[in-house]
Amino acid sequence: MSEVWAYSETEAGANETLSAAKIIADSLSGAAVMVEIGSERKGTASFGKKLVIKTASGPSRSPEFAAEALYLASKSGSPLAMLVASTRNGREVAARLAVKMGRGCIPDSSNLSTDGKHLAGERAEYAGKVQTRLAADLPCVCTVKTGSYAAATGTGGRVTTLEVGEIHTKAALLGANPKETANVDLKAAKIIVSAGRGVKKKEDLKIIESLAKALGGSMGCSRPLSSDLGWLPEEYHIGLTGVNVKPDLYLAVGISGQLQHVAGIKDSKIIAAINTDKDAPIFQAADFGIVGDLYQVVPAIEKLLKSG
Amino acid sequence: MKIAVCVKHAIDESELKVDSEGRPIFAGAGCKMSTFDKNGVEEALRLKASLGGEVVVFTVGSSEARKSMKEALAMGADRGVHVLADTEKMDAMSVADAIAKSAQRTGPYDIVLCSEGSSDTYCGQVPPVIAEKLGLPYAGYARKIEASGGSAKVERALEDSVEMVECRLPFVASVVSEINEPRYPTLIQIMQASKKPVEEIPLQQLEAPPALVSIQSMRAQPMNRKRVTIVGTPEESASKLLELLSKEGVVRR
Repeated sequence: MSEVWAYSETEAGANETLSAAKIIADSLSGAAVMVEIGSERKGTASFGKKLVIKTASGPSRSPEFAAEALYLASKSGSPLAMLVASTRNGREVAARLAVKMGRGCIPDSSNLSTDGKHLAGERAEYAGKVQTRLAADLPCVCTVKTGSYAAATGTGGRVTTLEVGEIHTKAALLGANPKETANVDLKAAKIIVSAGRGVKKKEDLKIIESLAKALGGSMGCSRPLSSDLGWLPEEYHIGLTGVNVKPDLYLAVGISGQLQHVAGIKDSKIIAAINTDKDAPIFQAADFGIVGDLYQVVPAIEKLLKSG
Repeated sequence: MKIAVCVKHAIDESELKVDSEGRPIFAGAGCKMSTFDKNGVEEALRLKASLGGEVVVFTVGSSEARKSMKEALAMGADRGVHVLADTEKMDAMSVADAIAKSAQRTGPYDIVLCSEGSSDTYCGQVPPVIAEKLGLPYAGYARKIEASGGSAKVERALEDSVEMVECRLPFVASVVSEINEPRYPTLIQIMQASKKPVEEIPLQQLEAPPALVSIQSMRAQPMNRKRVTIVGTPEESASKLLELLSKEGVVRR
């Protein structure tokens, strides 16, 4: 029976990817397989089949290691498609795996489908202006855009183990530190109030944070505030190269609305914006826009919220 | 020290237009050096400043791509390698293959740098594929690179952690935009850029593999937003906004 493999180094990514794998496996009358490297994780779901790849070396969190492990396993398992969650490490795993197999790799896609011969997936390109559908002949590799499938929840079933021997990596991992702000989960936030260059100094971020709190949401920022000014850590950066978000409400405060920022917020349910420049591009990307001074409007909104 | 840095002559997403049937118009669309590639060039120049040697710019594209190459040369790179190719028929794998082969032909290089992804399609596949094809150590999403002696320590910026990785030279890395602030070339540098040597290699000479990923369709993604402008005093605007947001059910009052 044809198999579709799902892998991610994170449990959340693995469970989302398994949902995508199930859809493809069903179209191929095959099975979706949750693939683990080293040992089975307790938090990963299954649709009846799990494959644990055992290596003689490791464990390792290196994407180079994971790619080789998956490649060696694919030689005996012969999956028709291998799906990997598109985290930063996942993109490396998938690209390397595809080269090793000499097959195509569809990048960062959602809405996956198959006609039995090809795998196709859709992705946003040109800063979200264009929706492109890409295809590769089966068997192939694909990275699944994180957040685009609901996590699979099934458990139980058969666990198969596969031994693949020694794996050597060329880059040496010296250590890893969790980011101090790793608890800022903008991806899951329902309301985000985001600050941009319209905020004149770092101390003034307090009024943005305060409004975010009053609304029961989280604070984010546009790229200049994290990358250029360093006022906030990179984890707050929302946009193409930062976090892609889809809250119910995205309130852009003092953000001009460069395409690369809009690309990261376009899936929000409602976008509202406050900016002094009536011609700021953010207003074209917003449902509701206030042309005004954030230093007056933001406190006014908070005051109304508190007066109930 | 020989440092290679890859730049893409990419379609300027802010200028991309759409035809009456909602298809993007690529013919005649404006192009620029992919935004994040400037961080790659900057990092190459920074490494050259501390380690000595030369910076060689790589690009794959039509003769038009020479514009982005020149921009990198104006920033301070020493020379260029231009793989002449019609990139419309290529995928990330075949572009990376062309870079890897042209680097083997003109190298060896001690460090090969790329940005994390291009500003047009942002796939992020090219850098790890170059490393895989060249059989070199790789550090993706670098936010800090310190090279000395025969190795480099690299900080990798992942979603929820920062990893420290050690790579023996030669190695490949992709950099995130927070790693540096790209410099602006001076007028004199811009004028001198045209005189810097560029080696042209036709793609046919590199025996490029066929593309394995193809485009099935492309359609413009219209931004369907309400675009309601709220006018009034700060208090009036604030009150109107909250009213609209609670009507949408996204804010509870």
